[in-house]
Formats: sequence, structure tokens, C-alpha cells
Amino acid sequence: MIGWVQQLGRHGCDLLEALGRASIFLGLSAVGVPSREGWHLWLRQMHFVGVLSLAIVLVSGLFIGMVLALQGYTILVDFGAEQALGQMVALSLLRELAPVVGALLFAGRAGSALTAEIGLMKATEQLTSMEMIGIDPLRRVVAPRLWAGFVSLPLLTVGFSVVGIWGGYLVGVEWLGVFDGSYWGNMQSSVDFIADIGNGMVKSLVFALVVTWIAVFQGYDLIPTAEGISRATTRTVVYSSLAVLGLDFVLTALMFGELG
Amino acid sequence: MKRSKMMELGVGLFMLAGIVGLIFLGLRVSGLNLPGTGGGETFQLKANFANVGSLKPRARVTLAGVNVGRVVAIELDTEWYDAQVTLELDAELEGQLPRDTTASILTSGLLGEQYIGLSVGGDPDTLGDGDTIRDTQSALVLEELIQQFVSNMVSE
Amino acid sequence: MNDSPFVVVEGLHFSHGETDIFRGVDLSIPRGKITAIMGPSGTGKTTLLKLIGGQLVPDAGRILIDGQNVHELSRRALFRLRRRMGMLFQSGALFSDLDVYENVAFPLRVHTDLPDAMVRDVVLMKLQAVGLRGARHLMPSELSGGMARRVALARAMALDPELILYDEPFVGQDPISMGVLVQLIKRINEALGLTAVVVSHDIKETLSIADYVYVIADGQVMAHGTPENLDVDLDARVRQFVHGEPDGPVPFHYPAVDFFTDILSAGASR
Ligand SMILES: Nc1ncnc2c1ncn2[C@@H]1O[C@H](COP(=O)(O)OP(=O)(O)OP(=O)(O)O)[C@@H](O)[C@H]1O
Ligand SMILES: [Mg+2]
Repeated sequence: MIGWVQQLGRHGCDLLEALGRASIFLGLSAVGVPSREGWHLWLRQMHFVGVLSLAIVLVSGLFIGMVLALQGYTILVDFGAEQALGQMVALSLLRELAPVVGALLFAGRAGSALTAEIGLMKATEQLTSMEMIGIDPLRRVVAPRLWAGFVSLPLLTVGFSVVGIWGGYLVGVEWLGVFDGSYWGNMQSSVDFIADIGNGMVKSLVFALVVTWIAVFQGYDLIPTAEGISRATTRTVVYSSLAVLGLDFVLTALMFGELG
Repeated sequence: MKRSKMMELGVGLFMLAGIVGLIFLGLRVSGLNLPGTGGGETFQLKANFANVGSLKPRARVTLAGVNVGRVVAIELDTEWYDAQVTLELDAELEGQLPRDTTASILTSGLLGEQYIGLSVGGDPDTLGDGDTIRDTQSALVLEELIQQFVSNMVSE
Repeated sequence: MNDSPFVVVEGLHFSHGETDIFRGVDLSIPRGKITAIMGPSGTGKTTLLKLIGGQLVPDAGRILIDGQNVHELSRRALFRLRRRMGMLFQSGALFSDLDVYENVAFPLRVHTDLPDAMVRDVVLMKLQAVGLRGARHLMPSELSGGMARRVALARAMALDPELILYDEPFVGQDPISMGVLVQLIKRINEALGLTAVVVSHDIKETLSIADYVYVIADGQVMAHGTPENLDVDLDARVRQFVHGEPDGPVPFHYPAVDFFTDILSAGASR
């Protein structure tokens, strides 16, 4: 019993310590805002984490939008409310699915790659040798990745929503025959720019920060061996996913809780 | 250096696409009207209802089934203890609606959301900005309907 | 020129977890000279260089570089100090996303505002010195181990730092390039008056260029002196090391129980 409590205490301390280290790490790296010389580093990472994630995010968005329309239609048609399809597709995408699924895909596609890349740089002493050259790897290596992730995910989320709504249109209007005007009209009368799109973007920004932070920190903090890298990569995906889903609940409760 | 140019182009397009996407969401999905895009001009009317049911701000306002505006505010009018609803209508209707226009709260579909339907009368006078629609029809509340129905049955 | 030593190590204690690596090491590395640090594999020579570079923090004792206590500097000041140093890593540690040319140009680009043409001149000069001017477009993954180390050497020298720490510069070099590198280290030290610390197991080559030698074993400085008087030192441990004799007071083996006891102990798993 005492042993168990002691173990709990030790895990608690470890967790707090890791959180502290991660926060200091974030503080030291985030100050490396892309400057004029750092511009091309940031650009490179934007390409790597943003542009290269575009394909998977857009394809997923399209399919999710199409499935939403199909499932939504079969339910709504029972109540004779199929003209509300546009509203349903748009609200589910904007408020929940685009930020959350976008962030999960991002963690799997870009987050794990960031961890592995930074981890390998650490294992091959590239980070140490950079320090010895007098360059802070937090600014040179971590900061551009952090900022690129922070900017990329919201953009990817927008893409996800747009493509999803279009996918819903394809299925709902083109295939199932919902009236074109009510698909868009209902959507427009129920979607609010600030409350729905704005809050979705806020979620996405929070997820972007958390996922990228976890990814770069896991890479920077790992044990520099092959096994260490593979574990850290797994941890990035697991922690990011849990953090995104947990935070999503909290944010949703804060944003939409009182809307009833 | 050629690769880096391609990369710059790719990232530029990516960011541009994101911004265009956001504008699309704003205009097409949330029906936001940017000032200066023509649709921005509106005027306001007020209407008092004994009961607004589950009408919400941002609900549609239709005329003959066509969207002509939206609800911007629902407040309690403490003078009459009824609900004062503020409507925002397309500017092209300003000075066109007769003074005896009726506003009724309707429901789309069986369980759909509530919206306001306008139907025009024949008065030569017209409603301008800030005027109040006198003739209104409250929302149908299911419980009241049933009560009415039951009491009719009993009295027969 | 200032006669005070460039690097002073005083009462250094350091341990990796449970293992003590240093138990009170005192060194002083003279300015503008080549100092060799030798010792059996695994005694902590690389660790010592990392301590000097501020990568690791000692348990006790202090390290002064040009009068500044390395481990009391702020992060910013430490990075500023490191610009005055170059370090050749045992593993080379080239940046894998940059080609050979950009690797050598890296310190120049980040610390100077030299125009591209000037950067090019310096980089080609350094690459020429290590015999790899023709390999400038290769990526690190396309280099052999010895080539990668020579590129790393060129990178460490790119800024002509006041202090260069060489961790085994001669490993993996054929006799020709070894000779060239030995002369290169000697030449840049003489020409620019740089302070150099060379960690190496190649006794003959190292002693031929070193001005002063420290032998570290067992967490302590075993012997030190100029190459001439080190050779005649009567300490058996130093003699064994310098002459490469397998039997003697310095153990070849990592500390362990007796071999036969270990082999014959039944039931032990590993
Ligand atoms: N990260 C670490 N964690 C624990 N122990 C370590 C670590 N790095 C090195 N050691 C231990 O420290 C000791 C010294 O290592 P170091 O790399 O400094 O040796 P070295 O003198 O450079 O050896 P070599 O000549 O083979 O390069 C070794 O016994 C090693 O087991
Ligand atoms: Mg070593």
C-alpha cells in the first residue's frame, strides 16, 4: 500500500518535472520567431509540415464530408428535415470534425516526423555540434518547426472544412437530390462566422500549439538511441491524440456549453 | 536554388489557399456580408410577439419563402411583457413593405428550426427603418395546442 | 602575448549516474600551444571536452576559459563564448540536411556578415586544406567515415576560433591524410596562434606536434609534461601507455570481476 502511494508520488513528481522542462523548452524556443535570416528555415518547415500534409488532410476531409452527408441524410429524411443537411454538415465540420480530425492526422503525419527528425539529429550529435558552434538549436532547429506547425494546422483545418462541405454538397445535392438552395441557405442562416468558424479556428490554433509542442519536445528530450527514437515517435502520436481529444472537450464546454 | 523557388511557391500557394478557404467559409458558408459587397445594405424593423417559442437570433426572415433577412435580437419588452424581435432586412425592401404586413413565427419541417415569415397586406403606407410591425402571429407551442384541443373535446 | 593559460580546470569532479568519471582533475592548457590529452579508452576524454564546452555540468570544481567560469555563464553568454571555440566531434556530427560546402559555410553564415563570394573563398580554402575541395557537392551520407571527419575538421576551423578541441582527429585516416592532418593542425596553430586541445590515441603523431601532454586514467591526471620529459618519465603506467604495452599497471579491461570466476560462475544469466 505504502509502496503504491510512493510510486504514485514518484510518477507525479516525474510528470511535474517533465512538464516544467517542456515549458522552459517552449519558452526558450518560441522566442525564435521567424526573423529575416530565419525565414528560409521556417519556409522549409512550412513546406515539410504544411504543404506535404495537405494531400492526406484534403482527402480525409472530402471523405468525411461525404459520409456525413450520407449518414445525415438517412436520419434527417425520416423527419422530413433533409433541407437541414447543409447546416448539419457545416456545423459538425466547422465546430468539431475539422479541428479534431485535422489535428489527429497532423499528429500522425507531421508530428511523428518532427519527433523522429529532431531525435535523429540529437542521436547523431548534430544538435550538440550546433551548440558548440555557438548556435542555439532551440532557435535554429526547434523554433522554425514550432512556428511552422502553429501556422500550418489552422490552414489545413480550413482546407479540411472547405473540402468536407464540398463533399457534403456532392453527396447531398448532386447525388441524393437535396435542393441546392436549401443546402446553402440553411447553412448560411445557421452558421455564424464568429461563433462557429471563429471558435473552430481557435480550437485549431490550440491544437496546433499542443501537437507541435509535444512533437518537438519529444524529439528534443528523447534518449538518443534507435529504440529511444521509436518510443518517442509513438509517444508523440499517443500524447497528441489524447491531448487533442481531452482539450476538445474542455474547449467545447467553454465555447458552446451555454449555448444549449 | 531552383528547388527553393519551388518550395517558396508551394508554401505561398498553401497559405493563399488557406486564406481563400477562410473567405469562402465566411461568405458562402456563414453568409457573412462584407461591407461593400452590395449585400451589406440593410434596414431594421421591430415586431412584438406574445410568444417567440424557440426562435433564436440569426434565424431567417422570409417573404414568400425567399430569404430577405435575419433576426438580430430578441428582447423582453417590459412595457407589455412580450418579446420584441429586431429584424434586419435587405435594403431593397425599405419603403416597399405595406404598413399592414404580417410577421408570423413558422417552423420548417416538423422538428425544424423556427423562422419568421412575412406576408404583405394592401395598405398604401409603407414601413421604413425602425418601424414596428403591428400585426404578428406568435409561435405555435405544442403544449398549448394540445390543451386547446383537449378543452374543445371536453366542452363538446 | 598574454601568458596566462587559456583553459584552467580546477578540482574537477564528474560522474555519469553512479560511475565516477573524474575525481579531482586539474589541468591548465597554455595559450597558443597544442596540448594533447591521452588516456585509455573510456576514461572520459570526450567527457572532458564536453565539460570544457559547457555541454555537461561538473559535480564539483570549475573550468575557466580565458578567465570566465564556463558553468556560471548565462545561456546567452555561454553561446557567445562558444563562438570563440571550435570542436571536432568524435562522430563528425555533420548536419545531414546540408551538403559538404554548406556544412563548412554554416559557422560563417550564422556568425559573420561576409558576402557570399568571401564565404566561398574561405570554404574552398578550408576544404582544400583537408583535401576535399572536389567533394563539396556531396551530402554527408555520401562520404566515407574518414572524409566526414575531415569535413568536420574543416567546419571546426572555419571561423579560425581561438580554441579548437579535436576529439580524435586522426581516426579512420590513411597514412597520407594522417600526415597531412597532423601538419595542418600544427600549421594553423603556428600561423594563427590558436590554442588547441588534441585528444588522440595515435601516440607518435600526437607527441610529434604537442607542446604539452596530459595523461588521464582512472579519473585523475596520471602524468603531464612536455613530450620530451614525458618519455623519460619513470612512471610505469605512463610508460606502458606511451609504449603501448598490453601488460602493466593500466588495465586493458573495463572494471570487472576476474575472468575465470565470471566464465565459471554457473547459473548466472549474463
Ligand atoms: N551518457 C552517458 N551515460 C552514462 N555513462 C556514460 C555516458 N557517456 C559516457 N559514459 C561513460 O563515461 C566514460 C567516459 O566516456 P568518454 O566517451 O568520455 O570516454 P573517452 O575517454 O572519450 O573514450 P574513447 O577514447 O574510447 O573515446 C565511459 O566509461 C562511458 O561508459
Ligand atoms: Mg571519446
